[in-house]
Formats: sequence, C-alpha cells, structure tokens
Amino acid sequence: MSPGLSYVVIKSHALMADLLTPEQMRNLAERESLEGFVEQLAGTSYGRISVDTDGDVSLALEKVFYQKFIERMMAIVDLAPANIGGFLQSYYYQRFEVINLKRIIRGKYSGIPIPQIVESLIPITPYRVESYEDLVEAESFKDSVRRLKGTPYASLVASLDLSDKYDALWPLEIALSHLNAGAVFNSLKRLPQRDRGLVRKIVQAEADVENFLVAAKQRGSRDRAHRPEEMFPATYGITIEMLREAIGAEDIRSVIEGLTPPYNEILVPLYEGDVALIRSRIRQHVYDIARKGRTANDFGFNVVMAYLVFSEIEKDDLVGIAWGKTQGIPAEDILKYLAIPGSV
Amino acid sequence: MEMKRRIGFIERGTEFLKLKRDHLAKELTASIEVLKGRRSLLLENLRGAYRAVTAAYISLGPTEVRSQASSIKAGLELEVLPRAVMGVRYPFIKVEKKPQIAGELDITLSEAAAKVLAILDDILQLAEFEARAERIADELGKTNRKVNALENTIIPSYRQVIKFIEDKLDEESLEELVRMKLIGGALARRRE
Repeated sequence: MSPGLSYVVIKSHALMADLLTPEQMRNLAERESLEGFVEQLAGTSYGRISVDTDGDVSLALEKVFYQKFIERMMAIVDLAPANIGGFLQSYYYQRFEVINLKRIIRGKYSGIPIPQIVESLIPITPYRVESYEDLVEAESFKDSVRRLKGTPYASLVASLDLSDKYDALWPLEIALSHLNAGAVFNSLKRLPQRDRGLVRKIVQAEADVENFLVAAKQRGSRDRAHRPEEMFPATYGITIEMLREAIGAEDIRSVIEGLTPPYNEILVPLYEGDVALIRSRIRQHVYDIARKGRTANDFGFNVVMAYLVFSEIEKDDLVGIAWGKTQGIPAEDILKYLAIPGSV
Repeated sequence: MEMKRRIGFIERGTEFLKLKRDHLAKELTASIEVLKGRRSLLLENLRGAYRAVTAAYISLGPTEVRSQASSIKAGLELEVLPRAVMGVRYPFIKVEKKPQIAGELDITLSEAAAKVLAILDDILQLAEFEARAERIADELGKTNRKVNALENTIIPSYRQVIKFIEDKLDEESLEELVRMKLIGGALARRRE
C-alpha cells in the first residue's frame, strides 16, 4: 500500500539532494582522465564505482548509470500511489523496453552473438513481454518479431511485410516508436487532470523536436513514399503543415526562423548540421520545464516528475562524459553536448 | 664495330630512360601537388566526420550507437586492380559495394554516417593516389640510378674500350705502314 503522494513528494525533495549539481557535472567533465572522473564521482551519491576493465569501460559505466537511474525510478514507483506509479512505470519502462526490442531486432538482423545482444540490453525486467531471452534466442529477427504475438507489440508482425519489401529494419523501428508514443499518451490518462500539464509539456516538446528532425532528415530523400500524416501520427507545437514545409524546403533556415520559441532557438544548430547539439538543447529545455514545473507546484506530482527528469538527464550526461573520458575527448567538446552544465 | 653498334644502342636506351625519367618526374610533381590539396581537404572532412561521430556517441551513448551501427546491412567491399603509367604498376581501388544502412538511424547518427560515407570515396582515392605517387617515386629513383650508371660508368667505360681498341688499331696500322715502307725500301734497294 502506498504511503500517499505527500510522502513521495517529501521523499523526492530529499532525494534531489543526491543529484549532481551543474557545477559537479562540469567538474566531472573537466577531469583529465577516466580515473580522475571515477575518483571525482566517488565523492558523490554514486560512490566508488569499480568496473571490469577487461571489456569496454564506457559500456560498463553506461550500465552502472542506467542501473542507478532505474533504482531511483523504482524507489519512487514503489512508493507512489497506483495511478502515478502506473504512469511512471509505463512512461519509463515502456520506453526502455522499446529500446531493448529495437536492440534485439537489430542484433538478430545482423547476426550478433546472443550474449552480445543480451549485454546490450538496458537492465530492466521485461515490462510487456514475457522474456527478452526468448526473443534473443529466436532463430531470426523475423522469428523474434513473430514471438511478440499476444503482447501489446503484436501489431509489429504486420510491419514484417514492409521490412521484407525494402529489405530493411526501419519499418519495424518506426512501428515500435509509434507504439511507444501511443502508449505514453495513453498512460497520461492515468494521471489526475491537474498533474498532466508538466508531462504533456515535456512529451510534446520532445515529440515536436523529434518530428522536426525526422522531417529534416527526409529532405532530399525521395525514396520513401511516406505521407507526413503516417510519419507524424502526433504533432503539437510544430504542426503537420510546418513539417511538410520542412520536408520540401530547399533552405531549412527559413522554416526554423518561422517557428515559435523555443523551437526556433533549439533547432538553430541544424543550420550547421550539428544535430547532437539539438539533443542537448532539448534536454536543457526539458530540464527547464521540469524546474519551472517544480517551482510552480513544490508540493505535488511536479516534484516527483522533476526528480525523475533530472535523474534521467543526469544519467545521459554521465554516459556521455564516461565515453568521452575513455576516448580522451577534450572537456570542451564533451561539455558542449551536456545538458546539465549548460542549464545554469 | 660490334662495340660501336652496342654503344649506339646503349646511348639510344639512355635517351629513352632520360625521357622516362623526365616524364615520371613531371607525373610525380603533379601528383604531389594534387596530394597536398586533397590531403588537407580530406583531413578537414575527416575532422568534421570525427566530430559528428563523437557528438553521436556523447548524445546517444555507446551501446545505442553500436546497436544502431549493427543495422548496417553490408560492409564495404573493394576490389584492388592493377593499373600502369609508363610501365609503373599501381593499385586501382574499385568499390564493389558500399555499406547500406537497414535500420532507422537516429538523425544524429545518420548525419555522422552520411559524413563518413561522403569521405569514403575521397579516402580510397587518396590511398590510390598515394600508392601511385610512391610507386612513381620508386621507379623515378630506379630510372635515375640507371641513367646515372649508364652516363657516368657504362658509356664512358665502353668509350674507353673503343678508344683503346681504336688507338691499338691505329698503332698497329701505323706499324704496318712503317713495316710496308721498310720492306718497300728494301725491295727497291735490292732491284737497284
């Protein structure tokens, strides 16, 4: 039985203290080496991390950061009232499960050994499928997809024909992304009306930018006979007309300039083709939405959501720093793509 | 006579080798100019591609990048064929199959992949050009050594031998003339 929303809110307030500050994140990115990064991290709530140095250290660290985020999320889900817990589980678990399914399908398609596919999965317990092992052990990627019959992903089987037709995986990946988007919007209904605003803002901002990036990617590629309505089942601040305009635009700059804030600012790096910078900007924007949401209501669901949003962005930034450190990337090149240090 | 015929043949060969040397030197100079330009352009493009790949890794995380990269349907397939310029063989790289991406790549990664694919041809062409310039330089060195050996050692030594033989022959014919004159004088005196 849940101790109630108030308890979860107080707990979230307390757990916020464990999160890394922008200053701490900057210091971590500025460490000279991976050892320095791990050493500095030992002084935070992550404690001393020991990773198996036989394999790729950045992959091992990525797993550690994912586990930490999942622990944090589960600590909230376990305490939250059923509707909020159900929403959070669906919001995060569904997303991670879709990522895992994509990784399984890609792995099977390219004939990667089973242990390697299993190793690449986000360490969560299966959410809407019975077992990942069962899917990984299938004979082929088609067999893996067919094994999804009887799950909420059963409609994916229909995309196999398209996958066959194009001899490509993208029909399956697009179908999975759409399934995930649909599930997130459905799960929003579990939240009380007053609590939907923050999540809606986050989901819509992410979906708008993602839609625009997909539209920008479609520019100049005439080989896919997708209609914009099929490609973008859900649009919000950036309408389907704007996306259509982006697909057909010779110069993307004029389309971006015609968008409303914050999109016309977030998408500016597209002029230079630096798409990764857009991702860090959207993360910063989501970080800001969560922070403002928390300021607007410091005693409700917004605090819980803000804590999880901050945690997830922290995980993403740490994964980026860890990889950058293993590769010896200069600090300024890492910092450019981080969301938290830039959110000050 | 045989020696003179031979040295004529060697001199003509030397002239041909000199022509080859000059042609190779011209080819090498042109190649080096092209290489300089192409190399700096390629380095700039490589930096751009590396930045894009780095950004994709930091943005998506290494596991996701690796997973998406695994959806590349076919790897790069090349065939290396021989070609020749002035008898110098160098490798010519023919692209049989370019990598094809089967999955729906994240745009961050697809930008990086596009940048890498765009410079793939440049990398191969530069490799081919560098191998060509290297082989031409090798051949130029060899030709130069041959020309020098012919001009400075073989031809002079042949000339010396010919001169020696000619001197010997001249000497012998002079001796013969003197002998004939002495014999002629003796015979004339006997008739008197």
